[in-house]
Amino acid sequence: MSDSGPPKEPPGRGGDIVWSIIGTLVAGVLAWGFIGWLLDRWLGTSYLVAVGIIVGMAGAFYLIIKRYGSG
Amino acid sequence: MRAPALPLAREGFQAPSVEIFEWPDIVHLEVAGIDLSINRVVVQMFVVGLLVWALFFFAFRKPKLVPSGLQNVMEAFVDFIRNQIVLEVIGRDGLRFMPYLTTLFVFVLFGNLGGVIPPILFPLNGRVALPAVMAICSLLLFISVGISSQGLAYFKNTLFPPGIPWPVYILLTPIEFVSTFIVRPVTLAIRLLANMIAGHLILSVFFVATGYMLTSANISVLFGLGSLVFSVALIAFELFVAGLQAYVFTILSAVYIAGALEPEH
Repeated sequence: MSDSGPPKEPPGRGGDIVWSIIGTLVAGVLAWGFIGWLLDRWLGTSYLVAVGIIVGMAGAFYLIIKRYGSG
Repeated sequence: MRAPALPLAREGFQAPSVEIFEWPDIVHLEVAGIDLSINRVVVQMFVVGLLVWALFFFAFRKPKLVPSGLQNVMEAFVDFIRNQIVLEVIGRDGLRFMPYLTTLFVFVLFGNLGGVIPPILFPLNGRVALPAVMAICSLLLFISVGISSQGLAYFKNTLFPPGIPWPVYILLTPIEFVSTFIVRPVTLAIRLLANMIAGHLILSVFFVATGYMLTSANISVLFGLGSLVFSVALIAFELFVAGLQAYVFTILSAVYIAGALEPEH
């Protein structure tokens, strides 16, 4: 790989990718957990937080595999 | 939060706790209901800011081709940021962010070093204000870089990663939003803050305990000697953490800027 050419991999390696993956996981849980919590408050239910957290985790995994998976 | 003044607790060893992060106001100041009081941490912040400014100012006031003294030292910082962070993470395109990243690194580093330098002995970044403001600066910077290099498409590229069937966006867009604009700055600030709080607490506990054991008149004195040696080793460890956290804060800011410069593929 020459010095002037653009890097083949996404900028930042190793530790940065780890942080990014952790960030995505946390963000998935937070985002959909929050949406679930709002729906719970709105509909008067109590289980949608849990559903939201699981959905968020699944979404985060999908995103991570899509972005950093070898395929 | 102070330890309850139980008779039992007064007898034995009292470990320092979060109260060592609270300082009394030197000047009480309140403007429109906002507390702008000046305490020791604020004074330290001004001093470190002034110090960083003065170091760079006097180092590069009359730059020489063959550097010596202060210019040599400060050029080492600049070279380190340039070669290890900017060129590695962003590339030549990132050289215009050198001033921000260099200042950030040196300021965070000197703020952290206050935790192990004897007359000061308080890490500036052990209070949430400074890490939070610096994280917000990095957030605003990478958003502006995104908008200036990609226009409003920056938000489209960030929130709707390419190569995904459209119904999945309902699931992914909230995650991308939270991860980019909320989790990034929050983790940036908390990583630095938590490291400095933990380091300061550990050092305080070890030194207070060492003093307590060495002044007790029983077998504890032997343990005190051991803990004294370990305390000194912990100072070396905290020096390392001070540098490492400054580096991590700076390199992650650079990674976020790099991510905003060009859309993902």
